[in-house]
Amino acid sequence: MRGFGRFMIATLCGLVLAAGVHIISILAMPYLAEDDAFAKVQPTLTAEKAQIISAPGGANTWMPRPDPAVAVAACAFDLRNGPMRISAQTGPNLLSLSFHRESGGVFFAVTDRAAVRGELEIVAMTARQLDEARAAEDENEPSRDVRIVAPEQQGFLIVRVAAPTPSQRPQAEEAVKAVSCITEQAE
Amino acid sequence: MSTDAILTNAPRAGAARAPASRPISFRTVPTAFLIVYSLLLALAVGLGSTYFILKGDPPFGSLTLGPWKAWPALGSTSADPYMRAILARRGDVPLAIGEGLGFTATTDSDGRALDSACTYRVGADTPAARLWTFSVYDQNGRLLQTELGRNSFTSAEVLRDGQGRFTITLSRSLQDGNWLQLPPSGGFSMALRLYDTPGAAGTGLTESSFPVIERVECGS
Repeated sequence: MRGFGRFMIATLCGLVLAAGVHIISILAMPYLAEDDAFAKVQPTLTAEKAQIISAPGGANTWMPRPDPAVAVAACAFDLRNGPMRISAQTGPNLLSLSFHRESGGVFFAVTDRAAVRGELEIVAMTARQLDEARAAEDENEPSRDVRIVAPEQQGFLIVRVAAPTPSQRPQAEEAVKAVSCITEQAE
Repeated sequence: MSTDAILTNAPRAGAARAPASRPISFRTVPTAFLIVYSLLLALAVGLGSTYFILKGDPPFGSLTLGPWKAWPALGSTSADPYMRAILARRGDVPLAIGEGLGFTATTDSDGRALDSACTYRVGADTPAARLWTFSVYDQNGRLLQTELGRNSFTSAEVLRDGQGRFTITLSRSLQDGNWLQLPPSGGFSMALRLYDTPGAAGTGLTESSFPVIERVECGS
């Protein structure tokens, strides 16, 4: 009976520890996963244009469950080298930009509805770079950039352009590839 | 006298020693064993449950409308740790809340699993969105590959009747209208993606505005 009681206590301790192991492993997963989306888009870090990761049609892509009617391109960024300026030309079809953290999770998204005269221009920066940009700004000539603050220094941008009919697929592919993401050198 | 004393004391000493030594041997070995046991149990149950959860869909925050299921928080900053862990493991890039919302269905409207041996009719309406796409996938998350080559419809290309309603027929054999060919065998799943929709946060969507998945017949 006493041995059984001790066994039960050991089991209880084990289960309590198991809950801890579970929580830690779930929280660590985004940082430990080796083939997550950030790892896959990392080669695009130095590119100045967004790189196709899922061409319309959905063939030859690492993305799970790709949408065949949408062209997807990615552009990784590392804000330690300076803020990143993204410029996109909008066309007749839906274009959307979403910003993802290195450890997964969206922190900002915008569609072409927010475009001004057919252009979307966004600068992604860290909180510190935003302060510096504000300090360097001329009060009489405020910047018209849309500035967003990234919660992490590394991350990636996903560009989606829809091709509502198969004949528009080459056009959508050109449109995603035309999006530029250039690291601005710190002033 | 001395022998007598030995004779009488020996069993008593033995009896006195035995209970003293037994609890020690009883405690030292099993305590170490019990610690190892509870640590192993913690690792096995903890990692096992993590693996089990990561294999499936996010356990919380789902929005179910008939057969259609979505996780609106997946593409927002309020994604919970389970969602982020599952995204990392899948290597997936979700639709952000400002971009749209993706729904999946693995069953028909009566709750039976989708089987490519059957014929399905999907229609007739979708919630308001700038563009929607409907596509079919195999169990590994790849687009269904068939002889016809078509595995999706968009709101721009689907054929509609006079009231603007549509019906997509999924079957192995030729059908008129909007036909998606199914492979010879195996389960499959459907995805309905609403791009630039006012309901992307998951509010204001009702089951009646979603297409019904009707199983028509099951061939051999």
